[in-house]
Amino acid sequence: MLNWFKKEKRKTKFDKNDNFRQRLDPGDPKNLPLFNKAQDNTDYIKHELGNSNDIVVRQLLIANKIKAAIAYTDGLADSKVISQFIVESAHEQTDMPVGKEIFQVAKERAVALGDVSEVTNWDQLFPSLLSGETIIFIDGFQKAIKGDTRGEEKRAISEPTTQLSIRGPKDAFTESFRTNTSLIRRRIKSPNLWLESMKIGKVTQTDVGIMYIKGIANEKIVEEVRTRLKRINMDSILESGYIEQLIEDQTFTVFPTVYHTERPDIICSHLLEGRVAIIIDGTPFVLSAPAVFIQFFHAVEDYYDRFDIATAIRLLRILAFFISLVAPAIYIALTTFHQEMIPTTMAIAIAAQREGVPFPAFIEALIMEITFEILREAGLRLPRAVGQAVSIVGALVIGQAAVQAGLVSPVMVIVVSITAIANFATPTFAIAITTRVMRFGLMVLAASFGFYGILLGLIFMIVHLCSLRSFGVPYMAPLAPFIVDNQKDVFIRFPLWSFKTRPRLIADENIKRMGENQQPRPSKGGNKDG
Amino acid sequence: MYEVNKVKISPTQLFVLIVLFEMGSSIVVSLGAEAKQDAWIAILFGMAGGFGLYLVYHRLYMYYPDLTLTGYSKKIAGKLVGNIISFLYIIYFIYIAARVLRDFGELLVMTSYTFTPLLIINALMMLVIIYAVYKGIEVVARTGELLFLVVYIVAISGFILIIASGLIDLSNLKPFMETGFVAVIKVTLTQTLTFPFGEMVVFAMLLPTLNKPKYAKKVGLMAILLSGINIAITMAINVAVLGPDLYSRAPFPLLTTISKIEFAEFIERLDVFFLLYAVIGGFFKIGIFFYAAVIGTAEVFNFKETEKLCFPIGIIILFVSISIAASYPEHIIEGLDIVPIYLHWPMQIIIPILLLIGAYLRNRNKTSA
Repeated sequence: MLNWFKKEKRKTKFDKNDNFRQRLDPGDPKNLPLFNKAQDNTDYIKHELGNSNDIVVRQLLIANKIKAAIAYTDGLADSKVISQFIVESAHEQTDMPVGKEIFQVAKERAVALGDVSEVTNWDQLFPSLLSGETIIFIDGFQKAIKGDTRGEEKRAISEPTTQLSIRGPKDAFTESFRTNTSLIRRRIKSPNLWLESMKIGKVTQTDVGIMYIKGIANEKIVEEVRTRLKRINMDSILESGYIEQLIEDQTFTVFPTVYHTERPDIICSHLLEGRVAIIIDGTPFVLSAPAVFIQFFHAVEDYYDRFDIATAIRLLRILAFFISLVAPAIYIALTTFHQEMIPTTMAIAIAAQREGVPFPAFIEALIMEITFEILREAGLRLPRAVGQAVSIVGALVIGQAAVQAGLVSPVMVIVVSITAIANFATPTFAIAITTRVMRFGLMVLAASFGFYGILLGLIFMIVHLCSLRSFGVPYMAPLAPFIVDNQKDVFIRFPLWSFKTRPRLIADENIKRMGENQQPRPSKGGNKDG
Repeated sequence: MYEVNKVKISPTQLFVLIVLFEMGSSIVVSLGAEAKQDAWIAILFGMAGGFGLYLVYHRLYMYYPDLTLTGYSKKIAGKLVGNIISFLYIIYFIYIAARVLRDFGELLVMTSYTFTPLLIINALMMLVIIYAVYKGIEVVARTGELLFLVVYIVAISGFILIIASGLIDLSNLKPFMETGFVAVIKVTLTQTLTFPFGEMVVFAMLLPTLNKPKYAKKVGLMAILLSGINIAITMAINVAVLGPDLYSRAPFPLLTTISKIEFAEFIERLDVFFLLYAVIGGFFKIGIFFYAAVIGTAEVFNFKETEKLCFPIGIIILFVSISIAASYPEHIIEGLDIVPIYLHWPMQIIIPILLLIGAYLRNRNKTSA
């Protein structure tokens, strides 16, 4: 064994392009065992990782006699924990047995960490080492102890930046997998909340977790999520978007069929409805599936506010969706094809304004819409300091100056502004972006066929929506197929106590959500004086 | 044997499809115009006849719950004759789909799109329908559920606006039965029975996709009742607003009625309501005939991949709709004088009844032997 290693070592020291490097490459099934001597193991690690200086290797003696070595990744492992609970603890050991028991005793006593286990081959060892665990080698054993010392630098939990709410919790997911799972676990303290984890990405080895509530989530959907995730065979997973694009039902659609959010309270409510959450290390966005269309118009506050307010706001939001979808198209159709449909006085007003405009309505609308989209895109990625300049220039371009120059009519400016504001009212960005894309298609149809074009475009959209599925659940449920019981949470948000059942099709079994008589009533023996 | 059992629709979806189908094109034209102010009675009579016809189709479905019309005609009449009957039905469905498409194309060209070629208008409509049918009857049915709500919201708000504008003059509906009972019956038999109620024969192709067969009868009859009442109310309102004379002369009386709406000096010219209804109704009427033609063809020619038939048959419907008649008057005359007697009667009434007799005899022999 030693001879073999020496030969191998000699060869590799001179030959830089050796086949060791392929060890970590995708698709290599090698399962090489560890070496006998601690020193050899650490040398091998250094060699394999190209002497990267963030890999810290330290030789030490356990109980002043047994040769050992530790290795960890600086920055990912908590060096305080290592020095206190591994190094110091190893030194302080007084009575160590001899022979084969050393390893067991060292594992049980000398390493004073919560999570300790054994590794026997390199393929297990490297991922642990590189995710912040500390590896302890002991002379004379072809196995090592790995201790959980993970303590990487992470961002503190902060407020969500994408889905704000006035009322409701202010914490958001972070880039750390463990923080994210803890944020969910903290809200649902049920033993039935299960977390399955796996590593996806041959090179990145990203932690991905599936979370669901056993007994509420539909087993078939959980299984479907599992198989779709296992199918992924890629080198890297850098963001939840990678996973989303690889597991969604249909690629060729503008509609999102997987929901993503950075709010733990949304994910918890989804879990309680029987959905499955997918947590990906390295991103604050957690996925939830299956997703239905109407869900993208529901904001968290719909459930925190009282039902009448929530309903009014929800209806407003759906109206805003339609405005942002069709407002420019309707303007084009009215001015190009159906002038007779505009009330006379208004028609005269519009015609008077459009008199000096050199473009047909469609081109006018297109110019303004594209200008606006460019402004928005520019504003999104600019360094913050320049932001103000953009907004000033933007206000001038879409507003006053364009009208004064006679390039566009004031009505057009109003239409574009209303469209833009309505688009911002959509609570989820995923569907807001979809609306932006479809709006242009409808504008073209309106310019060529008027209302007929818009109507056919919308019917086409509805047919398409009805043909979509998200993890087997029809995308338009509970509207099509129409499920009477679930209408309580579609356009109108019924009082909370009336949500007696979980959404059908999503939660399969254990449909019942609450006990009887949840409707609040004033108590009979209450204070009736005054 | 071709599998129709792959896709399933629910009783609600069947109900919605029947209602949208029945109301599809019949609400926009002047139905039973020869009965003048009694058009609505002729429609109700037609509906009663429609019940009878549906019971015939339903009885056939009970004999062969897994088979479509083209499937059981082979079982009943033998392979050769059955295939000929099936083939005739396919052509019938394609032809009627093309007729409806022509109706809608002409409607649009006449009302708003004077300068747009008919072919373009029809092609655009057909494109959307081909997409829907390509996606399957399940998707068409789900789309139906969504648009059903839209149609009803539009219809109810239109109804309220008509009343609020003070357009209704009930004296237009009098005198009752002016033309006599016989004349009304004649209109019923030549028009309202076959169009739209007899067209339910197309659902003989769709019934096997129902996931709960025992509801077929109830759902079908309820849907016919609802759509019949809706059509009758609409026509009665048309007559009440326009008067019997204008009603029988207007090519699209509902459009004339709607364009009379003037409310609060702002809500007027609501032609877009009519357009919305016409496009949705046309979509389902053409779509269902088209789907029946597609699955019928797949069955007769033993073709496994049904979706692949959508495009060719869709194109055929599109071109037939253009070449079917040289002008709109010709199209209308064909539709009123020739189609009901020589096409609707045999395909909707005579052949199904003969098939039912055949099925009865065959099954009786089977049980006795």
